Amino acid sequence: MTILLEVSQTGWGLFFGRFHPVLVHLPIGMLLVAFVLEALSKHRRLAILGAAVLPVLIFGAVSAVAACVAGYLLSLSGGYDDGALALHMWLGIGVAVISVLLCVLRRYTLFKKSWLAVSGVMVLLLSAAGHYGGTLTHGDDYLTAALPLGKKKTAAATLTGPPEEIKVYDQLVRPVLEQKCYGCHNEQKLKGGLRLDGIKHIQEGGENGPVLKDSLPEMSELYKRLVLSEDDDKRMPPKGKPQLNPQQVEIIYWWIAQGASPTATVKDLHKTPRIQLVLESLQPSRGGEANPFIPEAEAGAPSEKDVEALEAIGVKVMPVAAQSGYVMINAINAAAFGNREAELLLPLKSHIAWLKLSNTQVGDSALAAIAELPHLTRLHLENTAVTDAGLPALAASKSLMYLNLVGTKVTGKGLQALHQNKALREVYLYKSAVTPAEVTTLKQRMPRVKIDTGGYHMPVLATDTLVFRKEKKS
Amino acid sequence: MSAKLIKEANEQAARYFSRRHFLQNCVTGLGATALTSLLGGCNLFSSSGNGGGMPQSLNPLDPKAPHFPARARSVIYLHMAGAPSQLEMFDYKPELQKLHNQLCPQSLLEGKKFAFIRGVPKMLGPQANFKQHGQSGAWVSDYMPHFAGMVDEVSFLKAVQTDQFNHGPAQLFMHTGSARLGRPSTGAWVTYGLGSENSNLPGFVVLTSGGKTPDAGKSVWGSGFLPSVYQGVQCRSKGDPVLYITDPDGMDRDLRYQSIQAINEVNKLEYEAFSDPETLSRISQYELAYKMQISVPGVMDISSEPAYIHELYGTQPGKESFANNCLLARKLVEKGVRFVQLFDWGWDAHGTDEHTAVDLGMRNKCREIDKSITALLLDLKQRGLLDETLVVWGGEFGRTPMQENREGKEMPFLGRDHHAEAFTMWMAGAGIRKGVTWGETDEIGFSAVKGQVAVHDIHATILQQLGFDHEKLTYHFQGRPFRLTDVGGHVIKEIIS
Repeated sequence: MTILLEVSQTGWGLFFGRFHPVLVHLPIGMLLVAFVLEALSKHRRLAILGAAVLPVLIFGAVSAVAACVAGYLLSLSGGYDDGALALHMWLGIGVAVISVLLCVLRRYTLFKKSWLAVSGVMVLLLSAAGHYGGTLTHGDDYLTAALPLGKKKTAAATLTGPPEEIKVYDQLVRPVLEQKCYGCHNEQKLKGGLRLDGIKHIQEGGENGPVLKDSLPEMSELYKRLVLSEDDDKRMPPKGKPQLNPQQVEIIYWWIAQGASPTATVKDLHKTPRIQLVLESLQPSRGGEANPFIPEAEAGAPSEKDVEALEAIGVKVMPVAAQSGYVMINAINAAAFGNREAELLLPLKSHIAWLKLSNTQVGDSALAAIAELPHLTRLHLENTAVTDAGLPALAASKSLMYLNLVGTKVTGKGLQALHQNKALREVYLYKSAVTPAEVTTLKQRMPRVKIDTGGYHMPVLATDTLVFRKEKKS
Repeated sequence: MSAKLIKEANEQAARYFSRRHFLQNCVTGLGATALTSLLGGCNLFSSSGNGGGMPQSLNPLDPKAPHFPARARSVIYLHMAGAPSQLEMFDYKPELQKLHNQLCPQSLLEGKKFAFIRGVPKMLGPQANFKQHGQSGAWVSDYMPHFAGMVDEVSFLKAVQTDQFNHGPAQLFMHTGSARLGRPSTGAWVTYGLGSENSNLPGFVVLTSGGKTPDAGKSVWGSGFLPSVYQGVQCRSKGDPVLYITDPDGMDRDLRYQSIQAINEVNKLEYEAFSDPETLSRISQYELAYKMQISVPGVMDISSEPAYIHELYGTQPGKESFANNCLLARKLVEKGVRFVQLFDWGWDAHGTDEHTAVDLGMRNKCREIDKSITALLLDLKQRGLLDETLVVWGGEFGRTPMQENREGKEMPFLGRDHHAEAFTMWMAGAGIRKGVTWGETDEIGFSAVKGQVAVHDIHATILQQLGFDHEKLTYHFQGRPFRLTDVGGHVIKEIIS
């Protein structure tokens, strides 16, 4: 088997066969021109073109026959889907036969009326043969994949979700194979009799045997060939094709070494320091420690309609980060934002993390709506009409950590309600109606909360006004 | 990759495509115009719904989300142009005092280059008295008595290093990440990345204390190769807050509105035809300028602040001063301005005259900033804004432990030369650890021995607190992505909580 294969891989037959892709384009062009000339010559004023049809046709027919021969020789090298190959072959032969037939009809001026019809059929066959030829080399979704209308196939570049839950084959290995290997190892084009588009096919192996050797990457063709010298004939992907990058090679190696499981997740497998680095690089950057003001659980994307309702009244709604479903809301350009507008926050309930309503018209009744936002961690209510009456609602705001009540009418009495809020960490009360005695009580009742009432002063120092100059000579 | 290159090439081409070029290439030019008008039918951006302004999605100042949730909503960067002496403010070196007036050992001078020191200079002991302050026990001199009370709010970086010892290049390096002209400033990068939260104010405002402007000129708040809409807007605390912002006589606001609308309509057609991003900049600048005519005088007017605040900062309305700028910085941040850049001047203490003597002029400079910076921190704190505003303080480099001996001669006053190898900066607020000192210099404050921080590390840390991975905030120019931190930059994790 191997010996036979070697011979056929280097014979003169294969050499000529490889001219097939060059040759096929001649008949395609020539025969198409012949058809066009034929059709144009029907027009009275262009009848003279009829004389050109036969030479073009002869040239096309000869090249079609040559392309068929070369194509047959190429097909002997194997590695193609039999069904598609047969279809392409017979359509090609059909084109050759019909073009020769047309030459004969033209040369001897037989059945003159049928010429155009016959060349029409020839063009149809030609198109079909061309299409299946393309399918053989590029795969059957080559055309449609570029269609802008269809659903896009996304190759997972970065991974979302907890890193431990990543499915090794589905999310790490398969995208690599899809990107770099499927092109030649698919249903239509089985180079080396090998399909890699599916775990079952990978396990089956190719005509040279299995490509996986249990947990031994160095013995498995699927890995071995990736790291051969680039000039080696067995190197995969072959010289000139897009190569795997080192990270992708590392993923394949690790997957095979860990048993090439079709279902395992990252946490099931032993992680080497090298793969650890690869896995980290695939994770979207979180930039150091997690932000304490963002809930740990992920949120889905907010509905555009709800966001637009707020933006229509001048309120800025921004994701807290590019990939986050949590939003920060700022009403800095919406001074008219009041209690009624606060209702518009509720549809975004599960998304609002930070809310800035400073200097707006909101009052106590808005706080009832605000308290219903389960993930709200930062709330700015500076210089609003909020009073003691609204504060009990905020006691139930379960994630609220930062509360800014600067310049409001709240007093120590109203703030007593907040001691039930266990999440609260910082409360700002500068220019509010809280008295120093009340602050002392509040600080005792809420020892974990940083209460800032401001009104800072600096000591007056002699040096504040002292200007240092050169000492005058006495 | 290639798509980005094509996009960049198109933008570059658009930038160089003037009316003259258009006329020169009339035939192809008209062909292109015809094509774009044909394509205009399928232009996603050509329809707009907000009253003749530019489509929302195209406004380059629209707020954008950072890479990850930010700790800082705003940055106030206090730059002491001229480079303050760390040895009289924060870096306490008793050993240096012992060496005072002795000749500098050769080992320190070998292979070193100084801006002005020639031959063998004398060592200059600290000219201030130091004490430890606060719970953290940070050293601060009696030049900064008020600020000494704030040490438990800040993180000191004692071993910052730069590679430039002349003011212009060092300032450029500190603010644009490159000692050469042409790169965008930190504020421009931040505005490019985040846009402006307040649509009535610019995202990046610059305030200078009057007197000298920074040696590096306006490039330290320029936009470099970024669209010019991201450059810093210089506001003044005296006279018109922004030059030419008031309407001329005979021009009422309605007429102003209509003329800006008309100009923007024309510019929109221009953009549809040539897709030059600078046209977008122009449209949004016109719109912003119109809005600023109302918003800026309000926010820039400090006279309405209560007496308590004026007393705290030491402000005098109508004057051009660092104190006024500190108060303005607080007001701007309160209004959602993203990046406020303050430049003070006169810190170049060479000792050539009494104003540049470390024991006289520099001490006066310290007095000028001490109260206002402390007031700024306290005021931000009491308003709950320090929690989300990053305050950065520093110069473009530090000063030598040796006394300057310009041209090898003894100087009339005590001064220090430029020193790039170790100087002090500090940061506060917005998730920066409180009361931390990171980095150490040797016993005379000449070299950094521990916790060295590069200029790009400062940038990386500022961007980090704003929610950016400094390696990913990039802009394509000249065929490659550029970033503020060039090929360097490490987030200073030690000072982040």
